[in-house]
Amino acid sequence: MPCKHYKDALVEAAATGAEPQGELRAHLAGCDSCRSAFAEEKSLFASIDAGLHATSNAEVPPSLLPRVRARLDESPAPARFWSANWLVLASAAVLLLASFTAYSLWRTRFSNPSPSSAQTISPPPSVTPSKDFPAPALASPDKQSLSSSPNTLVVRAPMRHPRPTLATSTPEVIVPHDEELLLTNYAQQWRQRKQLLLVAEAATETDFPLLQVLPIQINELDVKPLVEGKSQ
Amino acid sequence: MQELVLIQPGSAARSELVREAAQADARREFEERLAECGPLAYRVARGVLRNTADAEDVAQEALLRAYRSFDRLRDRSRFRGWLVRIAFRIALDRLRSAKRREQRDTLWSQPAHLPPPTTTEDIAVSNQFQGHLERALEELPEKLRLVLLLSAMDGYTIEEIASLVAVPAGTVKSRIFLARKKLAEKLRCHANTIKTR
Repeated sequence: MPCKHYKDALVEAAATGAEPQGELRAHLAGCDSCRSAFAEEKSLFASIDAGLHATSNAEVPPSLLPRVRARLDESPAPARFWSANWLVLASAAVLLLASFTAYSLWRTRFSNPSPSSAQTISPPPSVTPSKDFPAPALASPDKQSLSSSPNTLVVRAPMRHPRPTLATSTPEVIVPHDEELLLTNYAQQWRQRKQLLLVAEAATETDFPLLQVLPIQINELDVKPLVEGKSQ
Repeated sequence: MQELVLIQPGSAARSELVREAAQADARREFEERLAECGPLAYRVARGVLRNTADAEDVAQEALLRAYRSFDRLRDRSRFRGWLVRIAFRIALDRLRSAKRREQRDTLWSQPAHLPPPTTTEDIAVSNQFQGHLERALEELPEKLRLVLLLSAMDGYTIEEIASLVAVPAGTVKSRIFLARKKLAEKLRCHANTIKTR
């Protein structure tokens, strides 16, 4: 058994293959057991090296290269991947670039709307009905599709943008005063009738007065001939 | 009177000719390296597999793979290291196959694979010790194993091994030292047993 103090140093010296130096050398000169252990370690490393040499320098079978050459003849030649497929790659690159450009344009147009386009998105505060183009009948604000009426230009906006105020407010329709009164009256009658119908479900025998809609009263126009001297 | 018509080959035919010429160049270039690097691939595989037939299969496979991808190797001076890594990787994959392992062990048990012992040192490198050594080598980490196998081959300096495995020379030295120490730890008891007989 080697001395404990020198055991590791012996192994290190044997592993490196160098001759022991300094204190270890002096100790080996006077210690038989360490000298014997050192000789065993050197023998062990020599055996390992010899075994590794035998393993790593095995004779190459003479059939190796002819067989490889035969298989090379059978296998396809190395394809020049990048040069052979340059056309496909160029087409793919152009397609990718075009897609990216189209997407960028689309995104620029709809993510940053100009003030003018913002005006077209927001609906006017009120819609005045005209004779030719009657006011749209309470179009659903959720369906921001292209309207059939030329008075309203509705543009489909991305969902992430705040919806126009039309979505949260009741549309306002300007009508003549007498028509407004008639509509109010009609609405009141309709509400009453609706309530009565609900009551009628409970009491079917009840008679209800017929709904009467008053005719629109239009005052007669007072047409006066122009004085001849004042005409143009 | 006989008319002579000059026929110019089309662009497709011309590109085909260029392609064939490039393939012939690649084949010739590969052939030049084959004689030098074929044995190296075989020895690396043999060091991992410990079986001649398997090692030859692996070497062939590694050389074929290298040939198919030869055009992608830009720096042809790195061919040897590239081939060594391919062969080492295929050999490790092959080693992990249990079926191959059984076949290899059976073949390796035959004493005809080893040279007859002649001197005292050769006695230590007996069949039994060699078997233990091969198993201990198999248990080494891959990085240590490859460097140790290459260092044991004839004709490879530390700098050449460093270029083959693409690590600094100092790393190669430390790996060799560590690998030999690990092998010694595993084989110390077996060496003593052999000696006491």
